[in-house]
Amino acid sequence: MSDQGIKSRPRYHPIAPDPQGRHHLLVVDGPDVPVEALAEGVTPSAFEVWTVARKSAVPASPAMDEQAGAVRVFRAVPHLFSALEERLARETMGLRLYAAGTEPFLWDAYGIGARAGLSPQEMAFAHVGTQARRIFCVHCRTVMEGVTTSITTCAGCGAPLFVRDHFSRRLAAFMAVQIDAEVPGEVPQAEELYS
Amino acid sequence: MTAGAPLQVRVRDIVELAPSLKRFSFEPAHGGLFPTPPAGGHVMLTLRDGARVMKNAYSLVSPPMERARYDIIVRLVAQSRGGSDFLHRKVAPGDVLEMARPVSLFPLASSAKKHLLIGGGIGITPLLSFLPEMKARGARFELHQLATGEEVPVFERLLAPYATGEEIRVHGGGRAAFDLAGLLSRQPLGTHVYVCGPHALMDAVTGTAAALGWPRGKIHKESFGGATGGLPFRAVLRRSGIEVEVGETQTLLEAIEAAGVAAPCLCRGGACGECVTPVIEGEVDHRDDFLSAEEKAGGKVVMTCVSRARGPRLVLDL
Repeated sequence: MSDQGIKSRPRYHPIAPDPQGRHHLLVVDGPDVPVEALAEGVTPSAFEVWTVARKSAVPASPAMDEQAGAVRVFRAVPHLFSALEERLARETMGLRLYAAGTEPFLWDAYGIGARAGLSPQEMAFAHVGTQARRIFCVHCRTVMEGVTTSITTCAGCGAPLFVRDHFSRRLAAFMAVQIDAEVPGEVPQAEELYS
Repeated sequence: MTAGAPLQVRVRDIVELAPSLKRFSFEPAHGGLFPTPPAGGHVMLTLRDGARVMKNAYSLVSPPMERARYDIIVRLVAQSRGGSDFLHRKVAPGDVLEMARPVSLFPLASSAKKHLLIGGGIGITPLLSFLPEMKARGARFELHQLATGEEVPVFERLLAPYATGEEIRVHGGGRAAFDLAGLLSRQPLGTHVYVCGPHALMDAVTGTAAALGWPRGKIHKESFGGATGGLPFRAVLRRSGIEVEVGETQTLLEAIEAAGVAAPCLCRGGACGECVTPVIEGEVDHRDDFLSAEEKAGGKVVMTCVSRARGPRLVLDL
């Protein structure tokens, strides 16, 4: 059931700087650039790198050091995303945005990039870390994070939900639909699929 | 693939904008209103000069919401293949012409954060139809028009209705004085660039933008008038079982049409790819902007609207 043959399921590739780009910004959902996120022979020094330390004590970095090789550390993901919005708003054509991390992180970064005017051709993503899913209940619009099972209960409306491979880039979430809509109460055993 | 029957249009008036520039205004010959044209759209006029029939494409410069008239601006080209010369010298108010319904191969990108328009000379025409559309959408834009010194006031007058600030500029100092790299390197994310003008300008814009990291999908060019004629040659239409002579000032497509063969076409300027035709034999002098370098090198297809034979004979699967 893990491959439902759905075309909207994103595919990911190890990141290499786009030779057509003029400046390369890599945002990472963690303290370091994971080796497996980069294509063979590519080093983090090819990018300006933004990382997330997930702690309050982060080294001060010159905010204007905006070039390949520079590393800027953020306390938490929202801290990084807020800086990313400000940065993209004053960026010029030629920038490429890359992200490495969990799927919700990648697609939140995609949404920020898209709202700033970047097209899919100007962004690239590598999925590293957990397979846990952010899901969207199509019935009540509740978003749930970290879902690892094929079936789960909606935190918003209590419906037993089947987690589909159908992925919305706009919502950065997998679609989840009520599984017992035809025969109320008939809910198969949940399987642990996405950890 | 032009949808619907052609329109019959009457020349309403002709205004001389400059010694070589005339604006032609058309109205429906049988009353009523024209279809709403797309922004950046063009029409194809059928021009009958005696026995010779020419079909030329012209950008509409009237606002897309204007349905009582369609306006085009035509430059009289010194080495005209006949179309601009015919319009400038032989067409008069009251004349009725046949016009294919407008289509657009040069649309405004709806997702753009900003539109950067660059025109060279008569390449201003498709950009003129963008302006009212961008104003209506409240879109952010910037327009740079390159012109020869004496035509600067002409283009300034054409653009005056849309100029509200710094976003429209006419440059008369030649291309060397125009800081293209500076312009392209300071554009915000999400900008789309549109260029229309001489091939050298379009190549400079697309090449400079690409070198500065602009993705291909945000670079748009509109090429018209690519057909410049050349040595005569013979085209063999294998399936139709006929042979046609292509004259010096005639395009391959025009010669095929003159022989009564309904060949596909849309933009007639080497841009859209509609007229691409398989080549069975003979070498092609590719002059279009549509085929990839590999397809051109392969020599298996030709775009009949602008390309010619490199040699005395070309055999087509047509």
